[in-house]
Amino acid sequence: MATGLAPEIPSGGFSFGNFQRNLSLEVQGLHPPKAIKTGTTICGLTFNNGVVLGADTRATAGNVVADKNCSKIHRLAPKIFCCGAGTAADTEMTTRNIESQLELLRLNMGREVPVVVANRLLKQMLFRYQGYVSAALVLGGVDKFGSHIYCIYPHGSTDKLPYATMGSGSLAAMAVFERGWKLDMDEAYAVQLVRDAIAAGITNDLGSGSNVDINIIRRDEPKTKIIRPYEEIGLRGKRHGKYTYQKGTTKVLETEVIPIVVEEEEVVQRMDED
Amino acid sequence: MSSIGTGYDLSASQFSPDGRVFQVEYAQKAIENSGTAVALLGKDGVVFAVEKLVTSKLYEPGANRRLFSVDRHIGMGISGLLADARQIVETARTEASNYRGEYGGDAPLRYVTDRVAMYMHAYTLYSAVRPFGCSVILGTYNVPEKKPEMYMIDPSGVYLGYLGCAVGKAKQAAKTEMEKLQLSDMTCKQLLKEAAKIIYIVHDEVKDKSFELELSWIGEHTNGRHERITGEVFTEAEAYAKAALDEESDSEIDES
Amino acid sequence: MNSYLTDNVPNRFACLGLGTNSPQSLTKRPAASLRDMPDWLTSEHSTGTSLMAAEFDGGVVIGADTRTTTGAYVANRVTDKLTRVTDRIYCCRSGSAADTQAIADVVTYHLEFHEIETGEPALVRSAAAVFKDICYNYRDQMSAGIIVAGWDSRHGGQVYSVPIGGMVVRQPVTIGGSGSTFIYGYVDSTFKPKMTREECEQFVLNGLTLALSRDGSSGGCVRLGTITKDGVDRRVVLHNDLPKFYEG
Repeated sequence: MATGLAPEIPSGGFSFGNFQRNLSLEVQGLHPPKAIKTGTTICGLTFNNGVVLGADTRATAGNVVADKNCSKIHRLAPKIFCCGAGTAADTEMTTRNIESQLELLRLNMGREVPVVVANRLLKQMLFRYQGYVSAALVLGGVDKFGSHIYCIYPHGSTDKLPYATMGSGSLAAMAVFERGWKLDMDEAYAVQLVRDAIAAGITNDLGSGSNVDINIIRRDEPKTKIIRPYEEIGLRGKRHGKYTYQKGTTKVLETEVIPIVVEEEEVVQRMDED
Repeated sequence: MSSIGTGYDLSASQFSPDGRVFQVEYAQKAIENSGTAVALLGKDGVVFAVEKLVTSKLYEPGANRRLFSVDRHIGMGISGLLADARQIVETARTEASNYRGEYGGDAPLRYVTDRVAMYMHAYTLYSAVRPFGCSVILGTYNVPEKKPEMYMIDPSGVYLGYLGCAVGKAKQAAKTEMEKLQLSDMTCKQLLKEAAKIIYIVHDEVKDKSFELELSWIGEHTNGRHERITGEVFTEAEAYAKAALDEESDSEIDES
Repeated sequence: MNSYLTDNVPNRFACLGLGTNSPQSLTKRPAASLRDMPDWLTSEHSTGTSLMAAEFDGGVVIGADTRTTTGAYVANRVTDKLTRVTDRIYCCRSGSAADTQAIADVVTYHLEFHEIETGEPALVRSAAAVFKDICYNYRDQMSAGIIVAGWDSRHGGQVYSVPIGGMVVRQPVTIGGSGSTFIYGYVDSTFKPKMTREECEQFVLNGLTLALSRDGSSGGCVRLGTITKDGVDRRVVLHNDLPKFYEG
């Protein structure tokens, strides 16, 4: 018997009590809620003095734009950043968790943590979750070994590349990169190329939209900030003409006034007294 | 013995004030009561020879062997308490077998020796156990690299590589005999006879009445397999040893 | 109140169905809850691949194409499928990119430890055994077809094949990946033991070129690696420099 001093030990295990109910609800057309996704365009490339990362700012939930100006470039370390596509919650929590691990590692080792480490931590975590953590990332940063871009997929595979794109708009963005990428680009050209890639995603991909966010990580600067927004692309078009008409545009030919007659009848219903 | 009665020799987990672990030293003493085991490293292999003391005429020949195969390519000679040594053989066999299972090849002797030595060393650290009262000699021959190898582990867990190695009762005398030989220029065939001879020379007929000679080898001629020696080769080696012994005792008489 | 029961579950919780240009799904194991997700998220990255490794007198030559696909989209056209395990042992990866990268990482760690423990370079056979162990034990959860090749002082140049079920077998020449089916005939008719290094490199390059020109999910460039007692020599042959064969 459970008392205040000796409470009953709760029985362990899963409860399947609601399984049948949920199943029948689903048959009737009531589906469980689904997570917010960032149908996304993200990209990154290296140039002669660091890396540039870019992202759009649209978060979607089905056909609804859930957030018109969300931030998809996450900070992992002062000179390592990460663009995230996939489930918003997953990319956010994954990057936050790795950011914390990297900082603890830096404190432990007493030196700046290189970008490969961030790549390793991310891929090992994502592999452990066998693709169930929906985070598709473009990792970029600079360290004493140089400038690096990594492409990280939800199942935990990674590619080291000079330029990379991810998300539903990755095809549009990649088309821009494949056309414009050159060896040893300068900063202005690189930033313009990233802008164009994200703009291509915003304009051609339904899942991407709103603004371009850009982050420039320079080798010779200790810190960096996300330029947010770098440019607003998906703006709603402005009305060009006037759609109101001046008084007197239409000529009055004749006037007739017909009074409205309202017939009123008062019915009083008394509440029962007994 | 200075250690007795001081109380510092009761457990392996306690040092004496002058920095010794008496239990380990006692274990080493246990080996000095046992028959001598020698192993010689030649240019084309390793030979083992053991003086197995027979304490009763009622034992059948070949009982209580002191030469073992740890794996196809590793031989082991032991000296000290037989039961302790058998556990070491078992440990070494498990290590070699695990290695084969994991890496699909012959375990390097250095690796097996290191693992077994770590195991023996663990028994010198805790009060609940006693150290192993035995020393073991391990030998192998690496065919592709044409390289013989030999190690000896003592009860403290220390192991060293040797060209010629002797443990047991008459290790000093055996070492003296070995130093007369140009070991690294000799072949297994020659060394086998010399090893047998050493065992016969260092055997103390007065204190230990009878003994059985055990021989084994591993080298180029056995294709890197550890083989126990029997039959004609054994008889020949034993005959050589006995003849040399007779000659030696004759010359001793001459000198006197 | 449980949100399942409210009948105004807003549409904004629905999953995103993606644009028209999202690639075809090649999804092997997305969970039911991932069903409505876009391809680039759910479909696993796989290396539809052409791999080849051959022993020659004094070493081995390994080679692979450079294409990684997600469904119909080329996710990486300059992939490096020849992955270092030790200084003189490499593996060629095919199957799921995530699985094979993870396996290669684990084996690399394992062999590095093993080299420290034994104090000598690991044998190619040992590497193959460790690959086999992992591939066999996780055969139900992973898809990985791996070729292990390298050189050691004990047995010289060696090639081991560790196909999907976790078997291991040594072969003087082996091919792997989806593109390999097209070149069995070429390999059988052309390979001969104890070729020179140059002959062997040309043999592997020709084989891979034939494979990637017939296999849709192989392509890009050809990466070659030659492993001898002196270490590894690596080379990339760009697509326009590949040998020419009948293209009618």
